[in-house]
Amino acid sequence: MQIEILARPAASAARLSLASGESVTCEVGAMIAMTPELEVETAARSRGGSGGLIAGMKRMFAGENFFLNHFTARAPGQTLLIGPGLLGDIVHHRLESGSLIVQGSSWLASGIGVDIDATFQGLGRALFSGEGVFWVKCTGRGDVLLSSFGAIYEVDVKGGYVVDSGHIVAFEDTLQFTLGKAGKSWIGSFLGGEGLVCKFQGEGKLYCQSHNPPSFGKLLGPKLRPR
Amino acid sequence: MQTEIRNRPSFANVRVLLDEGDRLIAEADAMASMGPSVEIDTRWNGGFLPAVARRVFGGESLFVNEYKATAKGELVLTQPFPGDIEVIELAGTSLYLQPGAFLGCEPSVTLGMGWAGLSSFIGREGLFRLKVSGTGKVWFGAYGGIYARDIDGELIVDTGHLVAYEPSVGLQVGLAAGLFSSFFSGEGLVTKIRGPGRIYLQTRAIDGLAAWTNSHLY
Repeated sequence: MQIEILARPAASAARLSLASGESVTCEVGAMIAMTPELEVETAARSRGGSGGLIAGMKRMFAGENFFLNHFTARAPGQTLLIGPGLLGDIVHHRLESGSLIVQGSSWLASGIGVDIDATFQGLGRALFSGEGVFWVKCTGRGDVLLSSFGAIYEVDVKGGYVVDSGHIVAFEDTLQFTLGKAGKSWIGSFLGGEGLVCKFQGEGKLYCQSHNPPSFGKLLGPKLRPR
Repeated sequence: MQTEIRNRPSFANVRVLLDEGDRLIAEADAMASMGPSVEIDTRWNGGFLPAVARRVFGGESLFVNEYKATAKGELVLTQPFPGDIEVIELAGTSLYLQPGAFLGCEPSVTLGMGWAGLSSFIGREGLFRLKVSGTGKVWFGAYGGIYARDIDGELIVDTGHLVAYEPSVGLQVGLAAGLFSSFFSGEGLVTKIRGPGRIYLQTRAIDGLAAWTNSHLY
């Protein structure tokens, strides 16, 4: 499968070229356009993966859809164009070993050979990190496509790194994070508007989003009329 | 210190590479991510009373954060809305910023508050404005693209689009045209800007997005 990302970073879309017999799993509703010889199958579990009903339920808690769409090429040279619902960026991550932990709504698509499952990151982290309760865990070998609101930037963490809540897109499972105060004191951290931040430890790749939907919502929300 | 504005103009953010001992002031909640060697110190936005006045009248934050690098490290600053970010270098000069536009500055820059006048308030541009002065870099952001223009005579700007202007520029609120067309053309009140001086406009306004969204809610 060949991947090309277009219109970065404001209105990104991914163009996937599939050879005969190749397939890709996408978030429901991600398809923008496709050539006729692509077969679409909707299922609650990832191809060749385990799960089914339970996996679907867990995915729902992770902010994803209960169902997944599998696209399989029945003829050579098929093209699939996909994109997320919101404005924003897409990046391609090549998974070779280990796992990639993806923030709830940032998973867009993954190639065959990548098993996707929901993972629990702990209640404290769920309540205070500004992210969801469940995260999507991608394991295996293959391509993963991630989407965000805002531009995505990559950080190679060696030792430590601090991310404000709501700005995490995904991270390799060689990294762990704990919640902590942004500044030297708790009072300062909250008054300074940063509040709790995610403190990463370890070595690995981290993807962050430049903007954060809740901050934009807080600005726009008060201007909307009540329903 | 090295700085770069990335992903312009739609999702602009500032990446700062701080050397040991470098400091930077930023608006509360502007930090997206940072290296482990960067420390945050929160303080009143220009002293207790000015901070309270700015919060109450100017819609600015009560506090600002001072970032300090104990060793070389990066800091990424962003704004809550999608749009562009501009940087200017003050050289003993000053600039007025509209509420919400300020993103960050070098510690040598002074943050102060100035009375913007009743006509600014009527034009929904705020009763107070932030004044940045001194020497050093100042970053400010906008919802949409930033359109900078040096004006000599008069320029008429729709309310909600002005982001920053030099102190030599005067503001006056007026009707867009006659009473009838001002009301029905959707332009309503406008700000009359008189030069000479440089002004910065944003190509979209949050109120415009809110009005469009409201019209699509059921």
